[in-house]
Amino acid sequence: MIELDHISKNYGARDSVSDVSFKVEQGAFCAIVGPSGSGKSTTLRMINRLIEPSAGTIRINGEDVAALPLEALRRRIGYAIQSVGLFPHWNVADNIATVPRLLKWPEERVQQRIDELLALLQLDPAIRTKFPHQLSGGQQQRIGVARALAADPEVLLMDEPFGALDPITRETARTELSRIHKSTGKTILFVTHDIDEALGLADKIALLRNGRLVQFGPPIELLTRPADEFVRDFMGGSSLGLKLLALRQVRERMKPEPASGEPIAPETSLAEALSQMVLRRTSRLPVGGTGGSANGSIALSDLVG
Amino acid sequence: MAASSFSAAADAIVIASKIDTEGALLGNMMVMLLRAHGIAADNRLQLGPTQIVRQAMLAGLVDLYPEYTGNGAIFFARESDPAWHDAAQAYALVKQLDHDKNNITWLAAAPADNSWAIALRRDVAQAQRLTSLADFARYANSGGSVKLAASAEFVDSPGALPAFAKAYGFKLARGQLLTLIGGNTSATERAAAEAISGVNAAMAYTTDGALAVLQLQLLADDKHAQTVYQPAPVIRGSVLAQHPEIEGILDPVFRSLTLEHLQQLNAKIAAEGDAPAVVAAEYLRANGFLK
Amino acid sequence: MMPRNRVVFVLSLFAFAACIFAGFLTIAPNRLASGQSLTLWQLGGIPGAALTGACVALLALSFVPIARGVEYIVLGLAIAVFVFQLFAAGFLATGSLTSAPHGTRVSLGWAFWTTGFCLAMIAIDALQRLNAGTLARLAALAIIVAATALITSGGWFDGLSLMREYQTRQDEFAAALGRHCLLVAVAVFLAVIIGAPLGLYVARGPQRSAGTFGVLNMLQTIPSVALFGLLIAPLSALGIGGIGAVPAIIALVLYSLLPVVRNTEAGISGVDRGVIDAARGMGLTPAQILWRIELPLGMPIFLAGLRIVAVQAIGLAIVAALIGAGGLGSFVFQGIGQYATDLVLLGALPTIALALAADFILALLAGFFERSPS
Repeated sequence: MIELDHISKNYGARDSVSDVSFKVEQGAFCAIVGPSGSGKSTTLRMINRLIEPSAGTIRINGEDVAALPLEALRRRIGYAIQSVGLFPHWNVADNIATVPRLLKWPEERVQQRIDELLALLQLDPAIRTKFPHQLSGGQQQRIGVARALAADPEVLLMDEPFGALDPITRETARTELSRIHKSTGKTILFVTHDIDEALGLADKIALLRNGRLVQFGPPIELLTRPADEFVRDFMGGSSLGLKLLALRQVRERMKPEPASGEPIAPETSLAEALSQMVLRRTSRLPVGGTGGSANGSIALSDLVG
Repeated sequence: MAASSFSAAADAIVIASKIDTEGALLGNMMVMLLRAHGIAADNRLQLGPTQIVRQAMLAGLVDLYPEYTGNGAIFFARESDPAWHDAAQAYALVKQLDHDKNNITWLAAAPADNSWAIALRRDVAQAQRLTSLADFARYANSGGSVKLAASAEFVDSPGALPAFAKAYGFKLARGQLLTLIGGNTSATERAAAEAISGVNAAMAYTTDGALAVLQLQLLADDKHAQTVYQPAPVIRGSVLAQHPEIEGILDPVFRSLTLEHLQQLNAKIAAEGDAPAVVAAEYLRANGFLK
Repeated sequence: MMPRNRVVFVLSLFAFAACIFAGFLTIAPNRLASGQSLTLWQLGGIPGAALTGACVALLALSFVPIARGVEYIVLGLAIAVFVFQLFAAGFLATGSLTSAPHGTRVSLGWAFWTTGFCLAMIAIDALQRLNAGTLARLAALAIIVAATALITSGGWFDGLSLMREYQTRQDEFAAALGRHCLLVAVAVFLAVIIGAPLGLYVARGPQRSAGTFGVLNMLQTIPSVALFGLLIAPLSALGIGGIGAVPAIIALVLYSLLPVVRNTEAGISGVDRGVIDAARGMGLTPAQILWRIELPLGMPIFLAGLRIVAVQAIGLAIVAALIGAGGLGSFVFQGIGQYATDLVLLGALPTIALALAADFILALLAGFFERSPS
């Protein structure tokens, strides 16, 4: 559990972060979002003390991070950044093994862990002996995540890790991260300026503006009860409604009445259902159970709720 | 002969020389003589140009080296003193000055005068019957064909060519001079010997070994226009006090080195390429100074 | 019909022209006179024909379409002819002396140097085109060095004036060579242990660079002879003796500092900021970051600077002879004073060889670190 308690950072007269407080539960995925210069990265980097706060306390599972030995703290926290920062003179295996070796793990366990991580990130084991400059951007980014997870930290800090990837690779990376989060149960703090990315991944969103926390809560809350106009605009402005549709699923709104046509799955988002209605030029879609048989339908009016 | 230590051993005498043929010759003689008489000597020959070696001695890093009496004019800033043109007076003056000011002793000098001179191609000298600078002046003034190869320093320095010109009453036009950068008599002598660019006269040092070999004739300086440069061993007073026998060892050797001897020995080194140490040893043995 | 390999074409044409027109050996009645320049043909015999023929063969090969097999032939021919030329020079020199009066001197002429240079360049070009690895280049070099050593030890070079100069002063040469290497080694070592930390210091604080580099740049502009000479008096006043060697080393160190500091700073600053950030975030201590990340990644640039420093110091150390530090420069200056070119070569050629060797070795070393670009 990570707790930011009245955290501030100023550089001389300039306030980079002012009085930010929020709590992230164990195993939650918290996205820190905001426009450029809102203090997102600064806030993140105060958790592993790459930047020291000017005021306030940060606690991990009740322990004040300022009281912990610096390198020991950082070795307990996974850290992944936009430029990835793989060590160019070490191969993939050595890069991943960095923190475990710092923690003096027995070499056998280190090698085992590397195999585990490569499998988790769906990478070919042959990649072990390659050097960073021989990898594609997407591969490098996955190795970066593997390296961050290597010592099995409870907390993972990620600073725009997908920022340098092309849209298709980014999409894949997001899905993968979601899968990893669900299977490992780690607490993840994820900085991004892309609100759609945050909406797709996060349990909680902390929205910053000019160093201040404007709103903190689950995505639904920021979409349906924005604290002010800035929040509303940032969350999507006039397309807020469509974003809401993306968050909900067909099974929440379906009715027992039958409809004709190819059924859609109950887990489909309302946004995709709307898209199908437009494409098929119908205002009612059949919803399928398993095996292709329909067990209900959803109507256009159901989308509005 | 290999000196591999950075500084002299505590009791060995540091013997140096300048980077020239005659310095190597005289320096090697000194090293061999001292060692033959049981005095430890540290060979630091071919050390550097005059100023470097002189500074090193004044700083106490060098104990003994061959120097020229005429250089006293520069060391003590007395260029205009006429004493430098007389061998005996020059020797006495520099000996007194160095003893009084620096506690440096000048031992017996060789009777040779190694000063600047003008050498003429032998065929021209014989054809025109020129043996002295007075003859040369007459020849040049009456329109004789002259082209002199010399260094810029020789041409401009008041003690060199201008001194000759003044004493003997001649003047060389720009077209009669071939000025070389850098003061090498080897280069000027070769130019005259091979008549490069019409050169038939060369700046030279009187003890140069190349003169005979290259068929060049020295023109006698009867009026003593030049500063006298007699080579003599120069030793730090404190070192001589510890080893007074050094004077007795070096004196007879230096007194035996006439102009002719020096020219012959220098010729062996420069023209035949024999090692200075070998040439020095041969001379010392041949004259009974070494067994 | 255009030549396919223009490099080989031009070089072999030069070499051919040199063989025909330029003097291969110069024969002088004594050490002082200029001597008569003789071409290969005037010297007569098989060596001349063989060398000229080889140049023509290379010229012809330049018209053949470029292929690996052809390059091997060119390489082999170039090396063989280079070695043969060395032997021919010695052989012809000895031959010229057989009926000549005592004191006659034989020196190497323009044709020798030109063809030697052209052949070496042809060999290097062939190695490039073959994408030769380090091992292959070392092998080619080893063949030439071994051949030279064989020819020398067999006494085949004894007719050359250069060899005579060496023989009359062998002990002096050994001492000078040793002293030269010592001066350079000590100076470079000191420059590294002073300059590397200084470079690190500058890299850690960019505002420090202006002052530091300002001083170092100024040092570089001081003429070397002046700096060498200026140091004797103050050093002896301090009681630090050692005529010439100590001030020479100090001057060499001062000249070597700028490349070392500059390249250390560039190597460290050149490390990707993201890599450093990731390293810090992962929990490496500053010392661990320096030793495991920054230094290894900065090594190629640092070694490039070291290469420059070594070659520069080897050349500058020649001047050290002027202040009594000894070294190969003493032959250079003695030779200048006596107008004995071969004595100058006795000092200059080993210096060039040393510089090439240092450059080669350090390039090899840099190659090991160049496994992956940052």
